[in-house]
Amino acid sequence: MLGIPSSMAGGPRTFSETAKVRGRLLLAAAVLAWAAGSFVSRGYRSPFPPPSEMRTPASGATGDMLALALGTRRLFADLWFIRLMQYYGSREVRESSNEPGHEAHSHSVDEQGRAHCGGESFGKGRYPEFLPRARHVLEIDPAFTAAGLYGAASLAFNMERPSDAEELLRYALEYSPRARSGAAQFKEDRWKYLNVLAAIGYSKAKNPAAVSESIAPLLKDPDCPVMLKQQAAFLNKKAGNYAAAAAIYADIAATSRDEAYVKNARRQLEKLARIKKITSMNRIDRIKERKK
Amino acid sequence: MNNLFLMRAVAFNSFSESVRNRFFTLFAVFAFTAVYASVLAGVMAVDQEARVLADFGLALIELTALAYSLFGASSALLKEAETKTIYLVFSRPVPRWAYLAGKLAGALLTAGLMLAMMGAMHLSLLAFRGFGLPDFYAWALAGTFLKLAVIISFAFFVSLFSTSSVSTLVISSIMWTLGHFAAEARFMAEQLPGLKGFVFNVFLWLIPNLQLFNARDAAGAACALGPAVLFSAAAWVAASFMGALWLLSRKEF
Repeated sequence: MLGIPSSMAGGPRTFSETAKVRGRLLLAAAVLAWAAGSFVSRGYRSPFPPPSEMRTPASGATGDMLALALGTRRLFADLWFIRLMQYYGSREVRESSNEPGHEAHSHSVDEQGRAHCGGESFGKGRYPEFLPRARHVLEIDPAFTAAGLYGAASLAFNMERPSDAEELLRYALEYSPRARSGAAQFKEDRWKYLNVLAAIGYSKAKNPAAVSESIAPLLKDPDCPVMLKQQAAFLNKKAGNYAAAAAIYADIAATSRDEAYVKNARRQLEKLARIKKITSMNRIDRIKERKK
Repeated sequence: MNNLFLMRAVAFNSFSESVRNRFFTLFAVFAFTAVYASVLAGVMAVDQEARVLADFGLALIELTALAYSLFGASSALLKEAETKTIYLVFSRPVPRWAYLAGKLAGALLTAGLMLAMMGAMHLSLLAFRGFGLPDFYAWALAGTFLKLAVIISFAFFVSLFSTSSVSTLVISSIMWTLGHFAAEARFMAEQLPGLKGFVFNVFLWLIPNLQLFNARDAAGAACALGPAVLFSAAAWVAASFMGALWLLSRKEF
């Protein structure tokens, strides 16, 4: 400004200019680093269903927002699953109002796994919100295989709504996480859904043996809902495969944390033991008769 | 080399100050209580108790560590300026980058310690209930640490231009939320036509995609944190650090 070259203007001015240049370089480097991070992250593809797929029930909008905003999808899927079980375990208004004696029932599980209330055929109910609620768990966390299996099996075998069960399974299959290259340890869960889908098909064709066979590979899986195990045990018992049924009931009694199922499994094991005894007695009698 | 020693000294000082803070103990007690409360939810989930316990615990660990780390990061520099401690530091030959790096390292060490402590509490609780170590546990904690690293460094940057620690807390919390929405926001940007979509896409470059590090939520989806994820975290931390250094270099102490 005064016609003095900056190089001759003395130390402080030079220092200030250098600092300015350094500052600009620093800022440019910061912007570049941020852009590099964002550029690399653009390769990320979300494993979750797109937001357009979400059909949030009005009462759950806040929860869903928190699930996305805080990155806590699994936690909120768990909460939705608990709510689904509570809904299915609750008495339907229609039944309780039409049948005044219904409220006196104790909670238990019937032979086919329909239940949570001692009333006959209670678990069969309509539960009109069951499908959207079960679907919503998978919308939040499509990797929650146990919830998908539980929902589909309840719809198909307890509520006798196979078409709804198939709809749920189709959704689950569409968004079930798939193995990516380089993830050698990852195991896909799609086969579990396919097996239940096959079981529903056989169930429609009134082929209980095939239903039981389709479910069999699932039984040792940690994701297998106890209700599906119960179904398999029942079908085996019905088909006269008492040993297989007993093995499944023993597994339920040993591994399930649901008291109602555990009690029922123990009861069934006692029954099977009696049947086995009778069968063995009959065999002995027949052998004795033959000897005579 | 000397500068690295200085940085280490600042880091350890910052770390020990955080650990000695009364709030640290309170947060640890809160975390333990909250994790223990998750047992109740676990019982309600019947056969899914292990999953629910793991998810509740990990989410609570992350949120507790986030709350404490943000609280620490947003007040660290402001407090030093208010108490004039920063003048004492800069009256000695301590470069600003070493001071800032030390502060950041101290905050990251504190976050790491909190995660380790709460993780140990959580795992002992799972063991007490008869469950083993979930497969994805280490990945989930590592992902949480990376998220915290990004948001802590961002909070340092914001604290240098915001007027109070509360506003830093608010801005950083908004960034945390937006960061988790990044994948959904990008989906929406792809649906928008023309200029709107372009503007939205440009805006998305400003938000770190925190969902990248969310190994906890993607537990079922082969969740190893790959090199690209680590690179993004390092780039965002470095960018915030350089931005904060730029702001700090413009301040006169």
